[in-house]
Amino acid sequence: MARIVRALLKRLGGMAIVLALVVTVVFVIVRVTPGDPAAVMLGSDATPEDIAELRTKMGLDAPLIAQYGQFVLGIVQGDLGQSIFLDQPVTSALAARAEPTFFLTLFSILIAVAIALPVGILSAVKRGTLFDQVVVTLTMVAASVPSFWLGLMLIQVFAVGQGWFPASGYGGPDTSFLERLHHLVLPAVALGIVNSALITRFTRAAMLDVLGDDYVRTARAKGASERRVILKHALKNALIPIITVIGLSIAMLVAGAVVTETVFGLPGVGNLVVSAVLRRDYPVIQGTLLVVAAIYVLINFIVDMLYILVDPRVRL
Amino acid sequence: MKNALALMTLAAALASTSSLAIAQTTDGVLTVATIGEPPTLDVIQTATDIVLTIDQHIFETLYTYDNEWRSVPLLALAMPEISEDGLTYRIPLREGVTFHDGSDLDAKDVTASLTRWMAVNSKGKQVAEVVESLSEDGPNTVVVKLKSRYAPLLATFSQASVIMPSEKIADTLTEFVGTGPYALKERKPDQYTQLVRFDGYKSPEGEPSNYAGKRVAIAKEIRFVPVPDANTRVEGLISGQFDFADSLPVSAYERVEASGKAKAVIYENTGWASLNMNMKEGLLTRKELRQAVQAALNPNDMMLAAFSDERFFSVDASIFPKGSLWYTEAGVARYGEGDPEEAGKLLADAGYDGTPLRLMTSRQYEFHYKIGEVAKAYLEAAGFKVDLQVVDWATLTTRRADPKEWDIFITHSNFPGDPTTINTITDSYPGWYVSDQKAAAVAAYMDAVSDADKQKAWEGIQTVIYDDAPLFKVGNFNAVTGVGAGIADYTPTYWPHFWNVTPKQ
Repeated sequence: MARIVRALLKRLGGMAIVLALVVTVVFVIVRVTPGDPAAVMLGSDATPEDIAELRTKMGLDAPLIAQYGQFVLGIVQGDLGQSIFLDQPVTSALAARAEPTFFLTLFSILIAVAIALPVGILSAVKRGTLFDQVVVTLTMVAASVPSFWLGLMLIQVFAVGQGWFPASGYGGPDTSFLERLHHLVLPAVALGIVNSALITRFTRAAMLDVLGDDYVRTARAKGASERRVILKHALKNALIPIITVIGLSIAMLVAGAVVTETVFGLPGVGNLVVSAVLRRDYPVIQGTLLVVAAIYVLINFIVDMLYILVDPRVRL
Repeated sequence: MKNALALMTLAAALASTSSLAIAQTTDGVLTVATIGEPPTLDVIQTATDIVLTIDQHIFETLYTYDNEWRSVPLLALAMPEISEDGLTYRIPLREGVTFHDGSDLDAKDVTASLTRWMAVNSKGKQVAEVVESLSEDGPNTVVVKLKSRYAPLLATFSQASVIMPSEKIADTLTEFVGTGPYALKERKPDQYTQLVRFDGYKSPEGEPSNYAGKRVAIAKEIRFVPVPDANTRVEGLISGQFDFADSLPVSAYERVEASGKAKAVIYENTGWASLNMNMKEGLLTRKELRQAVQAALNPNDMMLAAFSDERFFSVDASIFPKGSLWYTEAGVARYGEGDPEEAGKLLADAGYDGTPLRLMTSRQYEFHYKIGEVAKAYLEAAGFKVDLQVVDWATLTTRRADPKEWDIFITHSNFPGDPTTINTITDSYPGWYVSDQKAAAVAAYMDAVSDADKQKAWEGIQTVIYDDAPLFKVGNFNAVTGVGAGIADYTPTYWPHFWNVTPKQ
């Protein structure tokens, strides 16, 4: 038990170091990138004097080390700063965008897994058949399709053509929760299809690795049904790479399905990051990337924990 | 500034229906897809197009622009009474105008608002330099005293110098209370800005003309929805999700027209593209080299590359377009086909040593980039060595403030109500156009009072601009917007407005 606690603490320490590095690197990168939030905010009519004045007002002319110290102190106190453009705390801006990103991630990954697991398993079991070849080809195509193109095609067919779904946005002031979720269907399908390709290929490859192993042959020799052999014996042992790729997909979706959110005009985390970068809204860029990095390492941590559940031989 | 003739024709055509239509208000909602989220709703601080588009429904100025971009009364009762020396303006206010919070508009609100505008806004700061005092003469008259004559005064009182209750004025605005036909109800950044009809609105009188004339909030509500992806704006318009879509790509024109569910509207002479040259440091401090740039370029090819089809642009040497009060061909030189021989001769005379010309452009505005690519080819054909630097817009706006970083940057502008408010004329605008002959020409303009005198003075300024060559005007471009089927009485304007517009039933 003590060994597990020590290992957990070690892992948490590693996560803290990663986050500290992220904080520093992001701070430095946004400051060395050309572009000035004051110039963006004031527009093309602004004179250099106006820009300098606003920079002073925003505290952007303070020494970098002072700005960094203030940022780190804020993080320790749970304050990610104040958005320059949105006129609200970064935490509030993030909270307002959490809902669409959370549900978009959830639906996308559910769609991806619902497609990828059965198709990947079947493809491996029916290796070399026409079905397998079709799956291999389709997953290659789906993995190559840019999500924004797929998104536009879905809008074209199901929003413009059929009128079943809205083309863009996340609803208006009087939109109910269910209606808001309705806005997520097309982007979730677009992301789900693209992500399913990768998971399908990993599932197929992992299953192919284990289907020829001795314990599978032994299970069959013992008279176990084919269904039991595949789902109980083979799949369980193939799960580690599948969990890894699903975890990575979730992490990437949380980090912001940037292009898809932009195409569908969704007010999610990805959209927030893109807008912040274009406007050079330093506090939002820093705060959002820190939170996303934290979620990323947390998901990786959870994936590592799942390894232990799936395979007791795995040690932290 | 737009093609005034076309606008007047359109306005006349719409007049018969609009007068009837605006008699009724409805419970309809207008959903407007904009190009993005406004950085703020404080238009005094940030007078960008997207902010002006939304804010003009909430706030009003003393004057506004009519079809010919002349300043005409809005919150003012009439044109100002100007003293004989041209230094004192007495501005009467309309009575009975109320703010969205129920308080009455009076002269104190106006002086307080204009004081903040002169302290915060770029154009306001320029006005502040010539204003001696701003005072109230009773509750309904404002008096502006100037140190010297200032011809663009009313034009600057027609845009962004919005009036709000004096007690709401603060360094950072927290409440957005105006006198406009719509009041702000809710803003969810990156999701929507919701405006609702202001039942206590008191409209100016007169036939609608550009932003002037009678305003009726026919739709109960307007929702501005940021949709940064242009293709999504198109698809959302055709699917019926949006009633209006701003700034559509020209390539979408046919598709919208063919859909039968929306109509594409071309708004002529939305703005103009230019190459601005650095007169403070580097290669182009030499006038001969700036003139060589002018001589080398072919504006038609640059605009064609940028806008694909002649329906969407025009090539015109006059800085202001035909139909504008300020249209003139005075002083036009080195503009047309592109003359590499003349450019080469100017290069030789200037002793050009092959130093690369740093041409800075951005892909955030795709037409800037395309113009830059064609410009590079023509400049190289004339003998320049060109370093085309493609950066994002935020980087460009930062770099251009440093005269060491660039020689030319590409940008675009609208046509302001007063010609002397174009950016290039300002000494401190990147490019740093400072010359004795410009100063003399601008001083002559500032002294003018009548439109005829101003026109003549503007001819002098344009002549000097062509000779000093602080910029190369490429051409005028048109905007394409989309209006959904069933929407009636929409009149195109530079900043699209939705009062007097009837939503679909």
